Amino acid sequence: MIQLDTSHGTNLVPAPGAISESEQIAKLKQTLLKDIRRSAYVFRVDCGGCNGCEIEIFAAISPLFDAERFGIKLVSSPRHADVLLYTGAMTRAMRQPAIRAYNAAPDPKIVISYGACGCTGGIFHDLYCVWGGTDPVIPVDLYIPGCPPTPAATIYAFALALGLLDQKLKARHHVEGEDENVVPIHPQIPLNLRVELEREARRMAGYRHGRIIADRFMHLLGAEEPTPFAERVQHYLDREDDPRLAEIFGKLTDIVLKR
Amino acid sequence: MLKLLTGLFKTGDATVKYPFAPYPVSPGFRGKPEFAPKRCIACAACTIACPANALTMSTDHHAGKRTWKLNYGRCIFCARCEEVCPTGAIVLSGDFELAVFNKADLMVTAEFTLTNCQSCERPFAPAKEVNYVIELLTRAGMPESETERQRVMLETCPECKRRAEVSRVTQASRHRRPEITP
Repeated sequence: MIQLDTSHGTNLVPAPGAISESEQIAKLKQTLLKDIRRSAYVFRVDCGGCNGCEIEIFAAISPLFDAERFGIKLVSSPRHADVLLYTGAMTRAMRQPAIRAYNAAPDPKIVISYGACGCTGGIFHDLYCVWGGTDPVIPVDLYIPGCPPTPAATIYAFALALGLLDQKLKARHHVEGEDENVVPIHPQIPLNLRVELEREARRMAGYRHGRIIADRFMHLLGAEEPTPFAERVQHYLDREDDPRLAEIFGKLTDIVLKR
Repeated sequence: MLKLLTGLFKTGDATVKYPFAPYPVSPGFRGKPEFAPKRCIACAACTIACPANALTMSTDHHAGKRTWKLNYGRCIFCARCEEVCPTGAIVLSGDFELAVFNKADLMVTAEFTLTNCQSCERPFAPAKEVNYVIELLTRAGMPESETERQRVMLETCPECKRRAEVSRVTQASRHRRPEITP
């Protein structure tokens, strides 16, 4: 059955041989999803991923996370599978094998898109040789975003599919309200000093952590408390007990004292 | 045998209790980007920084709106958006429970109003961004008297600014006296 519908994906071109499922199978699948009273066998299809997702899947069935306590078991043939786990951005070369694996699995089957690439094509979504995720080719029941999803996120998705937990994420839309103005962060610190502190912290600790450290420093600097600033910093550093942080805070304090 | 059993007893259960108990993530974990639309000024820094194009922005000039979109399905959790955000409107949280049945639930959108250019009356920049810049300038020591003049300048689109500059220069050259060479 060829379905020329691109509404689900971001692709302009529908994948040839894209599958849609009949009503009867969809109904059967609903009962399977709601009321699975046996082990769920999972077959994993790598459709051009970087192998990060595979590593996390195997981490999820390791004793630490132990997906087998829910009866989730990886099998080596799609003919044994209830659940098909598609990873990767669906390259051109993997479209046909992906469809073959889908057709080989007995109905009703659940298809899970695993990882950012599986969900939407991820960082590879606009590459010439990918279809941009699993759903332009195969109907998907559950999406697990993440790059890669952590084992805990994988367990959560399985618990969601088995009806143990509820879906947390909902679509959100915000419309700007009246008089919605933004106050700059740390308004009590002069702009030039703020820029200088952030720059130095980022130089020392790297981009993201530098920003976090500068943020904490300015929070201490701007707080209106009876204890003097130096004492507050010392108290904070004692609590954190990290010589690297002490070094960076020393440099930042020098900048403040210089002005 | 007894030694083995006591050893096992001491080691305890290695398997995590999740999903029946909450799973604590380690500090510095990069999970779901939490977006606070009230702190966003729609400056588009995050959409430029996002390597996966999970963050996109589109401008509707007719309606005077700018729409910000975040697709969790495409996000690679690199925290580049958090790094570049000037107001701290987007921060990566420790939340990893992102699986959904419906792909539409992976979207977060926000709509911002554009301010009109004072001379050509066409929308060009988010109102919140212009107000934020004025706020920053005021805090950086811009005198109160300057505020209104600055506001006129900031609420003019680049096109009109260019046109005004050209006309100013041509006017000036017309009134200039020819230079006398010795």
